[in-house]
Amino acid sequence: MTERIVVVGFGPVAARLIDELLPAVRSGIAHLTVIGDEPEAAYNRVLVADLGVGRTTPAALALADAAALVADGVDVRLGVRVRRVDRARQQVLLSDGTSPGYERLVFATGSRPVIPNLTGLNPDPAAPVLPPGVTALRDLRDASVLHSAVAGGKRVVVLGGGVLGLETALAAAEEGATVTVVHNGPHPLGRNIDRGGGSVLAASLRNCGVRVAGNARSVGVEHNAPDGGFSALLLDDGSAIDGDLLVLSCGVRPRTELAEGCGLSTAAGILVDHKLRAHHEPHIFAIGDCAEVRCPDPECVQCRTARGPSGLVGPGWRQAEWLADYLTLLASGASAEAEALPSLAAELPGVIVLKARGMNMAVAGDVSADPWDEEALTAGAVNGRARLQIAQWADPEHGRYVKMTTRAGVLEGLVSVGMPRTSAELVQLFERGAELPADRSLLLRLDGPDQAAAAGSADPGRTVCRCAGVSGTAIAAAASDGCGTVPEVSAATRAGTGCGGCHDDIKGIIEAHFQGAVA
Amino acid sequence: MTTGADTHCPYCALQCAMTLTSPAALTPAVQPGSDPVSEQSAADTPVALPLLTVAGRDFPTNRGGLCRKGWTSASLLNHTGRVTEPLLKGADGVHRPVSWDEALGRIVSAVKQARAEHGADAVGVFGGGGLTNEKAYQLGKFARLALGTSRIDYNGRFCMSSAAAAGMRAFGLDRGLPFPLADLDAASTILMLGSNVAETMPPFVQHLQGARDAGGLIVVDPRRSATAAFTSDGGGLHLQPLPGTDLALLLGISHAVIHEGLADAGYIADRTTGYEAAVRSVASFWPERVQSITGVPAGLIRETARRLADGAGKGGSYILTGRGVEQHVDGTDTATAAINLALLLGLPGSARSGYGTLTGQGNGQGGREHGQKADQLPGYRKITDPAARAHMAKVWGVPEALIPGPGLPAVELLKSLGQPDGVRCLFVHGANVAVSAPDANAVIAGLRSLDFLVVCDFFLSETAAEADLVLPVTQWAEEEGTLTNLEGRVLRRRRALTPPPGVRSELWIMTRLAEMLDAPSAFSEDPETVFEELRLASSGGLADYSGIDYAMLDRGEAAYWPYPAGSEGTPRLFLEAFAHAGGRAVFTAVTPRRRSVSSSSADRAGVGQSGTPMTLITGRLMEHYQSGAQTRRVAALAEAQPEARLQLHPAAAAAQGIADGDYVSISNERGVVSCRAELSTDIRPETVFLPFHFPELESANRLTESATDPISGMPEFKTSKVWIRLAVPGGAMCGDAVSVGAAGNRSGVPARVLQAEETS
Repeated sequence: MTERIVVVGFGPVAARLIDELLPAVRSGIAHLTVIGDEPEAAYNRVLVADLGVGRTTPAALALADAAALVADGVDVRLGVRVRRVDRARQQVLLSDGTSPGYERLVFATGSRPVIPNLTGLNPDPAAPVLPPGVTALRDLRDASVLHSAVAGGKRVVVLGGGVLGLETALAAAEEGATVTVVHNGPHPLGRNIDRGGGSVLAASLRNCGVRVAGNARSVGVEHNAPDGGFSALLLDDGSAIDGDLLVLSCGVRPRTELAEGCGLSTAAGILVDHKLRAHHEPHIFAIGDCAEVRCPDPECVQCRTARGPSGLVGPGWRQAEWLADYLTLLASGASAEAEALPSLAAELPGVIVLKARGMNMAVAGDVSADPWDEEALTAGAVNGRARLQIAQWADPEHGRYVKMTTRAGVLEGLVSVGMPRTSAELVQLFERGAELPADRSLLLRLDGPDQAAAAGSADPGRTVCRCAGVSGTAIAAAASDGCGTVPEVSAATRAGTGCGGCHDDIKGIIEAHFQGAVA
Repeated sequence: MTTGADTHCPYCALQCAMTLTSPAALTPAVQPGSDPVSEQSAADTPVALPLLTVAGRDFPTNRGGLCRKGWTSASLLNHTGRVTEPLLKGADGVHRPVSWDEALGRIVSAVKQARAEHGADAVGVFGGGGLTNEKAYQLGKFARLALGTSRIDYNGRFCMSSAAAAGMRAFGLDRGLPFPLADLDAASTILMLGSNVAETMPPFVQHLQGARDAGGLIVVDPRRSATAAFTSDGGGLHLQPLPGTDLALLLGISHAVIHEGLADAGYIADRTTGYEAAVRSVASFWPERVQSITGVPAGLIRETARRLADGAGKGGSYILTGRGVEQHVDGTDTATAAINLALLLGLPGSARSGYGTLTGQGNGQGGREHGQKADQLPGYRKITDPAARAHMAKVWGVPEALIPGPGLPAVELLKSLGQPDGVRCLFVHGANVAVSAPDANAVIAGLRSLDFLVVCDFFLSETAAEADLVLPVTQWAEEEGTLTNLEGRVLRRRRALTPPPGVRSELWIMTRLAEMLDAPSAFSEDPETVFEELRLASSGGLADYSGIDYAMLDRGEAAYWPYPAGSEGTPRLFLEAFAHAGGRAVFTAVTPRRRSVSSSSADRAGVGQSGTPMTLITGRLMEHYQSGAQTRRVAALAEAQPEARLQLHPAAAAAQGIADGDYVSISNERGVVSCRAELSTDIRPETVFLPFHFPELESANRLTESATDPISGMPEFKTSKVWIRLAVPGGAMCGDAVSVGAAGNRSGVPARVLQAEETS
């Protein structure tokens, strides 16, 4: 029998799930229906800010090809909303009037932008309608609003100092817009980054031409533009930040209302167990931004420390891959094997790597503790568990800052600002759970100019011609024997007879010899 | 008599032109009719004077340059260790000389017995990428017609098959460099991935100078290799990714090309198919994400994309891949990702830009075109293609049904040695699998389980040492023939010296054996006669040599295949059209394969080990070639690089208390290697490097895995997990990682010491 699988949502995580389920669809063991409320097939939301500043094209963002999926036998419904899930009948009721049935239903509904509570905005959480000149940054339509502002050289106010806000601000500034980032708290990235990193980050943003308004509490929006649109963001101290476009970047919230509507348990997201199943509902699953892995077992150690949805796409993709394996086994009738599939490993804390051209920053894990913060460092060191250790480098003058928070040599948190090689190394060490070199300063020197310098050119005994294995001493000896040109040295020693890259060095040694003779 | 010849170097695929002369003052020690150098008399004069002098010869590829290997190559002609008579292994395990009649008689009865008892596929042939075109062609014919076996493959499967498979699916044709090497001279940007030409083929480096001067040499290597060092001082960029992440890196560069609007839209529309799927396949590999996977900063990824695009509009941009990115279980996909990047930028098939893969072995190009591969017939024809089979049956004058079907690729072939349905009797030509094949301990065990092993070599290599019968064959300076260099140019190898009297050419051996086995069709010991047949055989195939003959090569004409009769050859491929029907190049969407959630091989690999595993990569030293069977016997080279050294980062070494020059053991579940450590900041801290030229306890391939790429059958050589320990010379290892599954390595004594004791 063909198993009917219905996927609600068609974002990047759903796209990965569908890709991985295609073999089961092609072989006929599964019938797949995917329902997306946007008119486009899945595209890469991570790059919406890039699109908004005109750096890329909608075509380049595509993650799925609806026509190709249809050709493979997938039932693709675009621009269609799910009105309701009927769990009793195992049906989804759609806005196009149809109601496909399912054996397995997967929520991949993602999240929606948080609309802050400001006077002048009318936030209906289910269907926010924003006034002209105000936009979030979540989909292709938001991107085109931003694009017209940036292309017109307008003033852009970004509300929110999170990573998406900063990326948008940097990209828009680089493309010629006048940009102000407004955030509360002493520095951008709030609790993701420590004070040192945050301060260097804010300074670096300013160096990149972004105005940064910190410790700002916004209270309202002014609409005095000629078209009645946005004209200024009002702060609680009575001041106002003028602009032509307000970009709301205040975080996202899982889209759970459909799940709630059919009686599933939700917290921040739709609650699922370690097999990504909704609590007490073996036919329904949730993955990606809308899902919160927290099993019903109150004794579960892993879930005691579980965090809500990360808002990052990587964990969602891993869930999609795992669920595809699981659903494929179920569809093929191998339910014992499906149940035997090892659960997905717990996710590491998310890594934030700032996508920007002019500056470099990476943050991951818990970086709140400072090197002398004895209480924080020893807090988790019980039952033989090692204490936290902090290594730190701060050079605000040159916009550089690094913090490595380790336990038993393995990173539990990191901050790196202004040091690209260091940041790349630290992030992959963090992700692999690999032990750092005991000499942490090694990781700070990767960006140094000394790393690329040729070594030992002053040593007369060094190998000058690597191809023929001839030392400087041997070439100098040939020169003293009367060789006055490179070809003569080559004939005598074979130096310079391979790649020829050492001819200048040979010439130098000959000249040094004869100068020495004159002097 | 003064002899001499214009020929090419015996070693790598650059095939540097050289002139061999016999100085008047020097009489060749070995002349027809005289006694060969015997072991006793040679022992009195351990360093015999070379019979020939070597001089570099001006040629577009090497421009008169040679590396140390080339300069010293003549010293092997009269080397005291040379095998000059057939050697039969006695019951006591000692090799003793026998006559050629007896040797050939033994082979014929072994073949007949294996065939009678186990069927024709119980006889196998393992060829080499160093064999001339004539030998490679006739070896394939010998296997299929004289032995009647499908079981033939060759060591090129370890080198070229992933790039070959990628080239075939993208362009419809695989020629290493589809353009003359000298085209690189004018390039503004050259991206080299996983290739260390400064060590492996030094004269090649001349062709990088233009790009270095333009600041556009970009080298991707986990080590700051000699080639990567050329990028310092403004020569370009060095990208130092984690081993095994090249595919993600290439997708990241392609992502940057697409998203920064650097792609060549006109070219993509006019000359390619599959673009949209390729775009989707890279959409989720934005540079910052790729940075997290590879350790290469996003800024460098973008900069690479820009320089490639910029170079294409100036002097030209080239993308070149080597074994470092190809010798992986996803090698074909990685080479495909490199080609996709090149296609996005409009490089392949343009007059001054392109994609190429650097062939390694001397005839690695020709050797893969003429029927040594398990799945191919001469002319790069598919053995499963009825038209190709009909063509070959006609050329060979045999019924088509007599030509066996596809055999097993090299790693599978070696795994089948001595197995119930596997190969029981094996011929090895121009390969030293006991050192060069992955999981070498298992390969040696396979060789020992054979009923009969015949090895053709000029030295008692580690593989020959395992043989029941060793057949002495001619060296390069003693034979005529052709090779096809890394550019697809066919070159003449010429004889400068008469071989020692006990030595035969492999063409002669195959011809005699074919006669004795009553083989159909014709076999010849004359290279030109064989080449004339190769011309007919290749005619109409992808690698068409039908318009090439010895006379034109002797006139110095530059013959690049495909060279159909009546044409002028093809120095630059794809200028008008690609080789697929319709003439378009094909993007194939590739993505890193995820590890199955149910596999936990990483945990298995750690059984019995403690501490942090390191990633082992392998490669070459400038002084040695391949398994070192030849170069370890050249005094000057052995002196310069007498032993394997493990390159590791001082930070990694410090954690184990290892100092520069200490003996270390490198182990995993497949074996143990023992050698000195060489500390260097040129390598990534979690990565270690071993050269693969050394045998026994220093044999890097004792640690490599025989997992293969599903498309090409090429093994994973570059990401073995290993554990490093300080070894106490002459005693037990420190730590707890002693001899896990290691055959015959219990002492921890370095190989060099053992060998010295054995030979003294």
